[in-house]
Amino acid sequence: MPEQQLLDAEKGQAPVIGPGHTFATVTDKISSVVLTQRQPLMWFATLSTAFLLTMLLLLAVTVLFAKGTGIWGINMPVAWGFAITNFVWWIGIGHAGTLISAILLLLNQPWRNSINRFAEAMTIFAVACAGLFPILHLGRPWLFYWLIPYPNTMGVQPQFRSPLVWDVFAVTTYATVSVLFWFVGLLPDLATLRDRSQTRLGQMFYGMLAMGWRGSARHWRQHEVASLLLAGLATPLVLSVHTVVSFDFTIAILPGWHSTIFPPYFVAGAIYSGFAMVLVLAIPLRAAYGLGDLITMRHLDNSAKVMLGTGLIVAYSYLMEAFMAWYSGVGVEKFLMLNRMTGPYAEQFWMLVSCNIVIIQLLWFRKVRQNTLALFGISIVVLIGMWLERYVIIVTSLHRDFLPSSWGMFHPTRWDWATYTGTIGLFLLLFFLFVRLLPMISIFEVRTLLPEARVKEETRA
Amino acid sequence: MSTAGFAIPAELDRDLRRFRTRSLMVGGAALLLVAAGAFLNPPQFFRSYLWAYLFYIGVTLGSTALMMLHHLTGGAWGLVIRRLLESASRTLPVLALLFVPVLFGIPLLYEWSHTDVVARDELLRAKAPYLNVPFFIARTVVYFLLWVALARLLNRWSLAQDRTGDPGLARKMSALSGPGLLIYGLTVSFAMVDWVMSLEPHWWSTIIGMLFMAAQGLSALSFIVALVVLLSKREPLRSVLTPRHLHDLGKLMLAFVMLWAYLSFSQLLIIWSGNLTDEIPWYLKRLQGGWGIIGILLVLFHFALPFALLLSRDIKRSTRTLAPVAGLVLAMRLFDLFWWVAPAFQETGHVSFHVHWLDFAAPVALGGLWLAAFLWQLQKRPLMPVGDPNLEEALAHGRE
Repeated sequence: MPEQQLLDAEKGQAPVIGPGHTFATVTDKISSVVLTQRQPLMWFATLSTAFLLTMLLLLAVTVLFAKGTGIWGINMPVAWGFAITNFVWWIGIGHAGTLISAILLLLNQPWRNSINRFAEAMTIFAVACAGLFPILHLGRPWLFYWLIPYPNTMGVQPQFRSPLVWDVFAVTTYATVSVLFWFVGLLPDLATLRDRSQTRLGQMFYGMLAMGWRGSARHWRQHEVASLLLAGLATPLVLSVHTVVSFDFTIAILPGWHSTIFPPYFVAGAIYSGFAMVLVLAIPLRAAYGLGDLITMRHLDNSAKVMLGTGLIVAYSYLMEAFMAWYSGVGVEKFLMLNRMTGPYAEQFWMLVSCNIVIIQLLWFRKVRQNTLALFGISIVVLIGMWLERYVIIVTSLHRDFLPSSWGMFHPTRWDWATYTGTIGLFLLLFFLFVRLLPMISIFEVRTLLPEARVKEETRA
Repeated sequence: MSTAGFAIPAELDRDLRRFRTRSLMVGGAALLLVAAGAFLNPPQFFRSYLWAYLFYIGVTLGSTALMMLHHLTGGAWGLVIRRLLESASRTLPVLALLFVPVLFGIPLLYEWSHTDVVARDELLRAKAPYLNVPFFIARTVVYFLLWVALARLLNRWSLAQDRTGDPGLARKMSALSGPGLLIYGLTVSFAMVDWVMSLEPHWWSTIIGMLFMAAQGLSALSFIVALVVLLSKREPLRSVLTPRHLHDLGKLMLAFVMLWAYLSFSQLLIIWSGNLTDEIPWYLKRLQGGWGIIGILLVLFHFALPFALLLSRDIKRSTRTLAPVAGLVLAMRLFDLFWWVAPAFQETGHVSFHVHWLDFAAPVALGGLWLAAFLWQLQKRPLMPVGDPNLEEALAHGRE
């Protein structure tokens, strides 16, 4: 859409794709990262660090399986420590990928075309990390399949009124749809790589994955229909998954958990942290691989705006919670809020407030949104803040509930930290293997952003 | 299409004026009835009045918020209805005036305003620093001051943009709309706590602000869609509004229908499953003695039917089909608010669905007056923001 681009220039916005690109240059540039280019130093550095952290995860999980959850800091009353915090954090991060790939597709937002592929990959790997935690948190993790309703000789069925069972359905659906959507979107690009690969191994690898894609008009037609249908299926998942996660808390009647604003507040928080992760990944990638003309300042600016918007919703939710805790007039509600703000976890609470509310106000300024280093820093801060948010919600509500005689404290052990940082390693390992092996930007969708694509459509019509 | 083409033609102007006079007369007549009701049955008068008032302030504030959302995000959907949204936002001073009767009704509406009741009730004593008459009035004044100020500034710049076409004005409107939406979110949340939630002062629900924001957006959008369809039968909108624009508006309506349903269901599920003594009476009242039927009607006609209909592309693109859906949603908004407000005045366990004749007269009276004010404002400016730099693009979007 040439007019669109002219208008954008008038408004002083960066274009969604750098000038001078043609179909051929886009294909060359993206496929060369996988096929011909030498990987930058950053790739080796990140991958080896990630590999070491993944080994740490393996160690931590092995010890956990050998000795049991006692190696973690959890105990009564705080039985949900790091594991559930990490679960909610990771699954929230995945949401930005689905929002970008599904909702922005349905809303005709073409700027998404150059960030959807790696954002979807991010979703899948984040969900993979998230999915580990509830299983690791089980005392007998080998019996995790008891959560799935199946006819069995014990006559045991899961408790369908429990949101923990809803979680199983929500997360498995989410993982399935995300993988399908991602893979269907990859097909045309896999065929491109198959055709351009110079090695026999590459041709076979991409050839098998491309599932016989020949790029005929019929293929494209069916591909488009399938993509739109999958986008339609994925759209409710952006809301439903974190809504169900929020039910894990709200269905309990604990002060600080049982609050009607949780579903929309959790969804906003998920998208908030997800876009932070998108920026954390996109900013170094575009620098290391010279992709600044495909992932432009426009993408960073838009992502920053989404972060600001969702961050403000999160801030609004904190305010409503704090106000209602007082307004309710109920002693335990007031005590919980006061304990959060001034109790033993006050430090974490005020840190999360500064990370999630105070610092992101910088994003109101265009100058900050245009500064990649500042954006990167703020995104890291948001990720820390959102982790702290879940930590504070979980720990402060549990550690001092209705009965003072059963109060206690939660102290994470080194195994808690090892498991958590281990999944960060796993996530980065998977992600950088993806960058190495698959096109991290959708070639065929970026091509539709070019003036060439538009001209053809217009002459035909 | 030339700039002058968007001015309201003489014929349409005459018809609008005629409609305005009629609306004022109907509203005035109903107002006399309502005034009589105020003497015959003061408690019922205030209940019906508050309910009807919440509906019209919802349409107005929803329009103001959509206007700011459009300034912030742009988009063809907003440009074609911007003048309607702006006209609605300029009725805020009238609505501020119409709130005055509610202030006189505080003792009859709000239990917490009676010192003897508060003295006997521990929870109400705890809430007294917030729920007391002077602070209630002060807050309401602040809400209206902020709303009117936002609407005035944005409308003034929009008018200046008509004259000068200065692109700096679009930037200014956009820059104010970000903080403006923030102010809207906060003030509406607290206004709904004050005006609606405190009708049952023991109950609380943290989602109420978001729920009412979604509901107001839906009311506003449905009203505007119905109106834009009516106006599109005549010039200048006939040659402007295309199925593509309607399609966008229909999609937005679908999104708001879903958002309202999502937030309402979240509140229901959480409170129902918690089953706590402070919260559950709110739903117990609304699911017993005939009110449950209204609840089911809401599920069917506020959510299920409009949702199913709006999924269809054809229904969204045709004036003939989209307008009735908008009408249905608008009617259901009234039902929903009635379900929120009316059971509040009944005792748990002794609820029964009943409608007073004032429940018919009050919405007609307020509606007549509000519609007249709206049309009066609508006639003041061209029907399209002629100075907006994106107008051409928005019109071209419809022709694509």
